[in-house]
Amino acid sequence: MMKFKRFKEIIGFGSLILSAVIVVLILGIMIFDIAAKGFEAISLKFLIDFPREGMTKGGIFPVIIGTIFVTIMTTLFSIPLGVSAAIYLSEYAKEGRFTRFVRAAIRNLAGIPSIVYGLFGVAIFVQGLNFGTSVLSSGLTLGLLTLPWIIATSEEALKTVPQDYREGALALGATKWQAIRSNVLPYAFPGILTSSILGLSRAAGETAPILFTGVVFYLPWLPGSVFDQFMALPYHIYILSTQHHAIDLVRPLAYGTTLVLIAIVFMLNLAAIILRYQLGRKYKK
Amino acid sequence: MDKIVMKDLSLFYGEKKIIDNINLNIPEKKITAIIGPSGCGKTSLLRCINRLNDLIPDAKIEGQLLFNEKDINTDDVDVVEIRKKIGMIFQKPNPFPKSIFENVAFGLRIEGIRDKRKISEIVEKSLRDSDLWGEVKFQLNGSALELSGGQQQRLCIARTLAIEPEVILMDEPCSALDPTSMLKIEELMKELKEQYTILLVTHNMQQASRVSDFTGFLYMGKIIEFGDTNQIFTRPKEKLTDDYISGRFA
Repeated sequence: MMKFKRFKEIIGFGSLILSAVIVVLILGIMIFDIAAKGFEAISLKFLIDFPREGMTKGGIFPVIIGTIFVTIMTTLFSIPLGVSAAIYLSEYAKEGRFTRFVRAAIRNLAGIPSIVYGLFGVAIFVQGLNFGTSVLSSGLTLGLLTLPWIIATSEEALKTVPQDYREGALALGATKWQAIRSNVLPYAFPGILTSSILGLSRAAGETAPILFTGVVFYLPWLPGSVFDQFMALPYHIYILSTQHHAIDLVRPLAYGTTLVLIAIVFMLNLAAIILRYQLGRKYKK
Repeated sequence: MDKIVMKDLSLFYGEKKIIDNINLNIPEKKITAIIGPSGCGKTSLLRCINRLNDLIPDAKIEGQLLFNEKDINTDDVDVVEIRKKIGMIFQKPNPFPKSIFENVAFGLRIEGIRDKRKISEIVEKSLRDSDLWGEVKFQLNGSALELSGGQQQRLCIARTLAIEPEVILMDEPCSALDPTSMLKIEELMKELKEQYTILLVTHNMQQASRVSDFTGFLYMGKIIEFGDTNQIFTRPKEKLTDDYISGRFA
């Protein structure tokens, strides 16, 4: 009987570990495959040169710049709006019909497929507000997509700040905003920052929302204003791997581009982890 | 003179009556203790006075709460001003995760005081008045979280003294502290009553009898008996009070 129990224990434990290993394995294989095939394409020239000869040669400089540009746009839009909404929900909103409605809206927003965001971006930003297909329209569309994530995680970060800090400040005659600004936001800041970075790194890799709103196949120049069109890494990968007239010829470039996109996303995630660690340490003891 | 007067004061959380028609006078520059078993409403009563119950969405306060003879339980009262005059020490020491200096300077900074010399002077004076200066004067820029529990609680007292309140509410200020730290805080209370009106909530009867001038016994939201501390502990008039202070209480 005891033996059987032990056996069950081992099986249970083993299958749990196996699940964890499978997850790591999938990631490992993916990265290894892309790195192995993309590595030969990577060179300094690849990173700082324009695409040449119908994209069969040259680099992806404007593609990288386009992604960075549109991500900055997304940041400027979604972080102030998302964090403000989170502060409202966490600190000010009283539980009631309105608050429940807002929360339900945010949850539903998070469930909308990204292609729908793209179509919405066309209707509202490109046509409605007449921003045209541009960095601005794409940045705003990606911002919408990121908002629910930023609101939810920022609210989570605000909720982890002990109630003692708020009450302590209020009991000393702080106004509500003073208490929030000096005694809540600084301690929620590491959490808000890191999760915002994660949200943005997600947005940087999205294709559907920018598809109709501003990204283009090829541009011989860099976008000079927010009303210009742009090239972007995820779309470039899509073009090189499915739409190009000489797919086999550009395959190494497609892998190279993928590697760059993954590297950017990883670097952002790494930055988030380092920031969380550093800032977290600063605010504890 | 009575600093705080409660007239038919009741507190509800939703439908539940937490404080039941209390009439109580808190004399100026004395220590008044409220004793009673856990859950009798002591802390809730205290939080009525600095309007911290406002934070609870469905809390409702009825009756009058006079502070310096003016009703502060009205909607048009500026709660921020009230809280500057009625400070509070919490059950669990809650220093902010800032430096010792910044903890004490907090109230001054939110007040908009910029004068560095003035701030330093007030910080030093407050730390002296809370008997903490000697222990922390060389580490003012160190984190407040590195102090011991007793020191943290005295820091919280210093933080409150810095904004020169008239009343200090103390919500079981020693319940999380060791006996030595507790005695230090009790000594401090006796010094502070020269200048401040102190309302102390405690379930520690020995503490109430050691430090307070007046004692009220709160039971199930009602004040059963109120009077001179000596009288309450030696010749209580109510049987319930007698049962409680002599430990014959289920």
